[in-house]
Amino acid sequence: MNSIPNRIPNPRILLTKSFIDSHDRAIATIAMALRDASMEVVLIDFEVPDDVANVAVQEDVDAIGISFMSGGQVETTGRIMALLKERGVPDLPVVVGGTIRPFDVEPLEATGVRAIFRGGAPLADVVTTFRALAREYREKA
Amino acid sequence: MINRPSAGLQVDPLLDELRGGKPLAIARAITAIENGTPLGTEVARATRPFAGRSWTLGVTGPPGAGKSSLINALIAEFATRRRKIGVLTVDPSSPLSGGALLGDRVRMAKHSSNPQVFIRSLAARGHLGGVTRMTAEIMGVLDAAGVDLTIVETVGTGQSEVDVADLVRVKLVVCPPGLGDDMQAIKAGVLEIADLLVVNKADLPGAEQTAMQLRAMLHHGGSGDRRSVMLTDAVAGSGVSELADAIEQRFRQPPASDPRRRDRRTSRARRSLASRAASWVRDGVLDSLDPRIEQICLEIEAEGTPRRDALRRVLSTLLDGEDGGLMPGPTPLGRGGTDHEP
Repeated sequence: MNSIPNRIPNPRILLTKSFIDSHDRAIATIAMALRDASMEVVLIDFEVPDDVANVAVQEDVDAIGISFMSGGQVETTGRIMALLKERGVPDLPVVVGGTIRPFDVEPLEATGVRAIFRGGAPLADVVTTFRALAREYREKA
Repeated sequence: MINRPSAGLQVDPLLDELRGGKPLAIARAITAIENGTPLGTEVARATRPFAGRSWTLGVTGPPGAGKSSLINALIAEFATRRRKIGVLTVDPSSPLSGGALLGDRVRMAKHSSNPQVFIRSLAARGHLGGVTRMTAEIMGVLDAAGVDLTIVETVGTGQSEVDVADLVRVKLVVCPPGLGDDMQAIKAGVLEIADLLVVNKADLPGAEQTAMQLRAMLHHGGSGDRRSVMLTDAVAGSGVSELADAIEQRFRQPPASDPRRRDRRTSRARRSLASRAASWVRDGVLDSLDPRIEQICLEIEAEGTPRRDALRRVLSTLLDGEDGGLMPGPTPLGRGGTDHEP
């Protein structure tokens, strides 16, 4: 009973990768796993870091996942984090995954990302992390 | 900083920022309406007076017809003619998990950073008819934010996506070349609501023939039919400017009056009422742990088709819930749009 409206909405997640990078197997896998875990997943290929911040705002997502299969991990992520702050969503959690070289981990963490999933990370961990971060963000005023 | 919709009810500051066209305020107002929060109800009420200010264009058609690509091309075309463009794209929700992949804006990527354009992806959340339950209210938010052209892209199952007809002034139906099963699927419902028929992917063989067949079909509707069939190639951009001209021309014409239709505003209210009532009953029956409903189901199993009397008992059982069952409250057992634990 009392089923309208649904009280706990599905988390909304933005998953993105550079439009130049054609490796979309990982992002598609994550997207389907999140969908199967009841999340609403918005997909875009970004041309510039601004695209990620703008789309995250318009779509009012609860978390962002950025997939890197080539280069620019640290620079791009740092720029996106700065833009999120500018757009008024400094707390929006960002998760990074893909080919993250060992020496990129520390500078990536320094940008403020909430989680880093390198190759071989279990899918269940990825799903749990997105769910927890999204819920935490939504509950925080 | 604007509060998250789940936080304090700050409707006035949100409305001020929204009317100023702040993307974050628009986005949060839409979220609140989509989720049916108390803030959403307030925002919908406050933005209702603005509804209908913008030109509204509906884009529908079967999967793969190129709706998103065509909208992408139309945004570029209209960005030079109009000040602000709002786009709502609807994708289906999984009936199993309630999750959704919202991928329409992948095709509209080049407009991500254009401040003239606000795009929002919506999950249908179990609503049939090609749009979401709250689309009309969300369009009101865009109107209040000063958008002057609102484009609504339907799910694209190709048939019975006629709800959009009540929401928009000009209806575009996009068809891919080839009058095979696609055409079979859309001819019953969707073609009837079209103001403009577009055969997209005009570079493919058979496009001209498809357009001809559509023209013939319109001709059957009588010589008074003012609708036209156009050809576009959304990726190369050919025919898009002509299509935009035709759309503008439709907006400038006075709306066609159809004596068979009820006043459009009442008809929208009726549809909205019917669909909300239906989903309330549906969720109530499917989720209920009430032994009386289980009993009714057992009887139906034994006796066959539910009789009028069984329907009446179900309704009275549902209405018998706490606080009449119609007030929003915590859902102990969610369905569809809820966030299930794995």
